[in-house]
Amino acid sequence: MITPYCRLLPYLSLTDSCHCTRYQSEVQGRLFPCGYINPGPSASIQAHQIFHFYHIFHHLAISIHPVLQGTEAGGLILIQDSVNYSGRHLKSYINTTLKRYITFPWHEYFQCVVHVLGFEASEDELKDGLDITSAQRLHFHNAYSDPLSWTRNSQFTVHQFTLEDIGTLLKQTPQAKAVTLIIDSLSWILRHHDPAVIWGAVRAVVSLLHSILHQQGTVGRIRHMATSVITVAPGTRGLGEEIFSINEDLTVTIQSKLSHPGHTGMNTEESELADPTANLTFNLRLSDTEREAKEKLALPFDFSKEKKSALLHLGPSSGRILYEPDANDDYDPEDPEDDLDF
Amino acid sequence: MFAELNSILNTSPDSFKPGEFILVSDKHTDASFLIHHFLSFYLRAGCKVCFLGLVQSFSHYSAISQRLGVSLTQAREKGQLVFLEGLKESLGVLLQGEASKGTRAVDFLRDPSSGLRGLYDFVRDNVRGGGGGEEWGPPVLLVDDLSVVLSLGVSVGAALDFSHYCRATVCSKLQGSMVMLVRCEEEEEEEESDEGSERLLRGLIHQCSLTLQVQGLPTGYCRDIHGQVEVCWRGQCDGQQTQKKLFQYKVHDKGASFFARGTSSAVL
Repeated sequence: MITPYCRLLPYLSLTDSCHCTRYQSEVQGRLFPCGYINPGPSASIQAHQIFHFYHIFHHLAISIHPVLQGTEAGGLILIQDSVNYSGRHLKSYINTTLKRYITFPWHEYFQCVVHVLGFEASEDELKDGLDITSAQRLHFHNAYSDPLSWTRNSQFTVHQFTLEDIGTLLKQTPQAKAVTLIIDSLSWILRHHDPAVIWGAVRAVVSLLHSILHQQGTVGRIRHMATSVITVAPGTRGLGEEIFSINEDLTVTIQSKLSHPGHTGMNTEESELADPTANLTFNLRLSDTEREAKEKLALPFDFSKEKKSALLHLGPSSGRILYEPDANDDYDPEDPEDDLDF
Repeated sequence: MFAELNSILNTSPDSFKPGEFILVSDKHTDASFLIHHFLSFYLRAGCKVCFLGLVQSFSHYSAISQRLGVSLTQAREKGQLVFLEGLKESLGVLLQGEASKGTRAVDFLRDPSSGLRGLYDFVRDNVRGGGGGEEWGPPVLLVDDLSVVLSLGVSVGAALDFSHYCRATVCSKLQGSMVMLVRCEEEEEEEESDEGSERLLRGLIHQCSLTLQVQGLPTGYCRDIHGQVEVCWRGQCDGQQTQKKLFQYKVHDKGASFFARGTSSAVL
């Protein structure tokens, strides 16, 4: 069974309240994790970029795997980027991870094949950075040089983006039981096709969508069709997410562990509050004797019951004032304010 | 050719990166001085230049290039420069009596919904070197400016298709370079920005490898600083990361000077 992978699928933070982010413990049926990608600040050159999409890779594994049970799983994984944060790097990372699946032990049971429908980048650009073996496993369909058949030299045009033609493409690798189709990019196709045309006969589809290029409604429709959406955006780190960094050679290193949400969420919040008395050049802490003395101290205007009664009632031996007016004093026994009536 | 800009972009006429798509965009100001820079840069580098001058006449560019030390008439005679004078060609299309004359390049004026395929065919025919005469360097396409076709009725999708095809031909296949100028209008309402030059600009930014975004100063007009330029290298391949740098500039009679923010000679 694929249970180990099920346990790893956590509840990820919501990027948008209208999208589903629940997870299911069963792998059969559709999973809707929603990933959140945070590359580092764009102002400076960074040696690594921080991504949070390890979970999506697991989802890919799961979507390919259930072929064994004969269930129709898989779906549309959408990578949505913006002008400042390009989603292009993600494709290479996905390619690398898919290469890793091919080396998993279940490769003997069925063949994983990756087809790339490239509209926006040429084959050389896409394969740049991959090693020879994984580059060979990728079937690249060149829709970059002539997608509208203007030069009459086209291998794949945008008008061929239909069920039958895609099926023909995929039949080029008949031995494959599980196929992943990567579309680069969906924005290109949406410029020429109505979104209703886009469907799902393929096991898993990963595609790149430049979100700002389309009307809000179009993006929303595609997002609803997708089973998971990866949004590339800047942002702060949330609780309940794992942080990974992608190194130069496209391997992934874990930088922080996942903390489970729910009852443990509160603990992490408290522990994250910094201790203000730490790391100071002077001592703000109290020793035990000092703490006792502090607690024993009676504050001057903190009236306990005994103190109040002692002040209000004058005791028998409390002082009396004896006044003897001398020649200079002007002593009039009458009270000038006697007629005041409050 | 502006020496300071060359050092910022790390290029020189002797050594520049092949296959670059440079996008120059401006907002509330005029970035055409950068087009003059690139024109003289690539002519000095000995490349075959195809220039689509859709907004100004040939004599305009020729006069300014002369001040930068490059003669456009000579380059045109030698065959190094192919100049499409959009304004002149469009007369042939717009005047009723001459419907059959004029090259196919400005066919989009007759029928805006057909897109810019004719323009692309013109580019493709002229960019492919060959012909008699000297051997020129890698081909270069300069477009000034692309956003004007939007106001002539061409859709944003058609303009993006055109730039995609130019990039596939010039940059990927022939390893040449491309420079395009896009001018953004002021946004008045949110809905308009979806269909206008903003959308074209964003689409082009996704396609290009280097952007130079020129803006006026956010604080208003200044006599000594004409504006700011944000240079952004987009990481196309995995080896590169996206880098951004911000400079301010001042345009002189014979060039432009670039300096880091706050270091204008008027201030220091």
